[in-house]
Amino acid sequence: MTKNRLTMWFLGLGGLITTVTFFMAFFYAPPSLFRDGRIDFAQKIFYFHVPVAEASFLVFFFTAFYGVRFLMTRRKEFDTKARVATEVTLVFVVLTLITGDLWTKFEWGAWWVWEPRLITYFIMTLLVIAYFVLRSSVEDEERRAVYAAVFGILAFIDAPISFAITRLVPSGFHPVVLKSGGLEPPMLLTFIIGQIGMLMLGYAIFRLRMGEEVTRERLETLKAALED
Amino acid sequence: MADVCSGNAVEVQGLVRAFGARKALDRVDLTLPAGAFLSIFGPNGAGKTTLVKVLTTLTSPSKGTAKICGLDVVKDAVDLRSRIGLISHNPLLYPDLTAEENLEFFADMYGVIDPKQRIRELLASVELDHRRLDPVRTFSRGMLQRLSIARALLHRPDVVFLDEPYSGLDPHAMDILDSLIAQIREQHTFVMVSHDLAKGLELCSHALILAKGKVVLFEPRERIDPEEFAALYRATVGSGVA
Amino acid sequence: MTGAALSWRQFKAILRKDIVMELRTKEMLTSMGLYTLLTMVIYQVALSQTGSAFNVRLIAAGLLWLAFVFTSMLGLNRSLVHEKDQGVLDALLLSPIDRPIIFFAKAVGNFVFLMVVEIISLPVFWFLFLSGGGPASVPIFTTLWQLLFALVLGSIGIAGVGTLLATMSVNTTGKDFVLALLFIPLMYPLLLPAVSSSSAAILGGMGATQQFWQGIGIMAGYDVLMLLAAYALYEFIIGA
Repeated sequence: MTKNRLTMWFLGLGGLITTVTFFMAFFYAPPSLFRDGRIDFAQKIFYFHVPVAEASFLVFFFTAFYGVRFLMTRRKEFDTKARVATEVTLVFVVLTLITGDLWTKFEWGAWWVWEPRLITYFIMTLLVIAYFVLRSSVEDEERRAVYAAVFGILAFIDAPISFAITRLVPSGFHPVVLKSGGLEPPMLLTFIIGQIGMLMLGYAIFRLRMGEEVTRERLETLKAALED
Repeated sequence: MADVCSGNAVEVQGLVRAFGARKALDRVDLTLPAGAFLSIFGPNGAGKTTLVKVLTTLTSPSKGTAKICGLDVVKDAVDLRSRIGLISHNPLLYPDLTAEENLEFFADMYGVIDPKQRIRELLASVELDHRRLDPVRTFSRGMLQRLSIARALLHRPDVVFLDEPYSGLDPHAMDILDSLIAQIREQHTFVMVSHDLAKGLELCSHALILAKGKVVLFEPRERIDPEEFAALYRATVGSGVA
Repeated sequence: MTGAALSWRQFKAILRKDIVMELRTKEMLTSMGLYTLLTMVIYQVALSQTGSAFNVRLIAAGLLWLAFVFTSMLGLNRSLVHEKDQGVLDALLLSPIDRPIIFFAKAVGNFVFLMVVEIISLPVFWFLFLSGGGPASVPIFTTLWQLLFALVLGSIGIAGVGTLLATMSVNTTGKDFVLALLFIPLMYPLLLPAVSSSSAAILGGMGATQQFWQGIGIMAGYDVLMLLAAYALYEFIIGA
């Protein structure tokens, strides 16, 4: 039962930290200012948007990682882990898009802008959806796992490439607007805490889902044994 | 190139083929001497096709080992493939190519050294020489199977696998298949999966019954009493859909 | 036969087989060619309200690549269907062939078919959309060789990754749709520079040369990376 305890700790701590970040973002971190001195309130979204974006990318790494492990060992558990990791990625990617979109609305007044980071995350969303559609359209279990692993690896390679390329290739739209270079210490602290909280939440969700999957596997094994 | 393999033709130890909870093959043990003819029987889903797939290197074992003529199905897969042939109920031929082109293609795939000569030889023995320039698309089922036999024997394999080869064949084609098998019987080992109990028993030197991935019976032909066998077979097939 | 000599023989055999079968049935080429033509008809409809002052050249590169992407997906599916029918793929896998050879042979075949369709479509597109509207600002010859270069690099990526994906999608329920869903997001980083360099080739102007070569460079990088990945991963898929 230690496993479940650990999950609960992560869940609780992660949730707590994220809530703390919320308050810190509004009450502790100094406001970011536009060049003309106006307060940029929308910038507060940054404390959620970037952590969740980075977390989604990190979890996506695990999709590829477990995919590789599966291909090397052909053990079903790695396929399950890859799938669950992708589920968590989906959640985070969608959150990234939502927070990013809100930020865009406040910054530029449009609901959607073809800006490199948003495009990259849009592509990532498509890749993750493709992963699940691929899984559901292959009937044979083992083949499904192999295909998913291969696609997961390709998708993970593709994501950062998309990001780099959208930056490099000239396009007619808004250039990427970055604010003043560094982050003052209180902002940095808030950001880091937010990042940690998000990662803990991510890990907790992963473990919760894996717990469900392991139970389901046990049930399957029992059923198969009963049939003999 | 095609000495009959010394030692055992097939050696399977503790073979398991599973994914997650479901086991297609569950600890199968099997030893078959060279020159033997094995008939595999069993209900649908028993694992017969899976066993053949493992032995022909199309799938790999989850646990245990399998060796053909001393070559391991995983470690020596590439070498092994040039020593085995498969005649399946699918003809495994390209419909838009002619008979000759099909055989030329597979001759290239197997690196056959004297392709033209060999192809003529085989086309003659399956009595398809007069149709060699016709696209396979136009062939009847019997002709397809005959050409498929030629394809399988092109590279002079030591061990020939047959996966329900007689299904859908007309009597003339069946005769050709029978006579071809009789011709090469001496120098080759055969492994056949069949639902035809009579035919399977008639041809075999060893018989295997599989059910739910497990070996129910494995005996040389001399030790088998046809009636007992038939009863056991019916009982297994009757009760055993996995 | 020794390893390398056998591999080369096998590669040639598969490539020859695919080309012979295609020449005989002309299935892929006609369907791909017609599909591109139909796409251009739709383009005419899409552009019908733009009026004569609209400079089609601005979006010509995009229109071209759009047509090629969708046509290639059609072709990719069909090229793998042959193997799946009759289960002939098993016969290939039973032979002593290194799995990656199958990948290369299929990918090169797809590349050839794609290039044929593209090269034929190019003058047709020109004729339909770019022949009017005054002289081009870029000498035709420059545009042509630059475009060809871009087409080649783009088609290499499409054929390579596409062959891998089609090998999977052909075994799914919902084949074409699954291929499109897998294909387009993975192709995105290739398509951007493809359009960028093609556009520079067509439009010319300030910094066009630099833009062209930058696009070419990125495509080359993508091709190398993704082809390596596809090569490494192919044998897992084909045996599954």
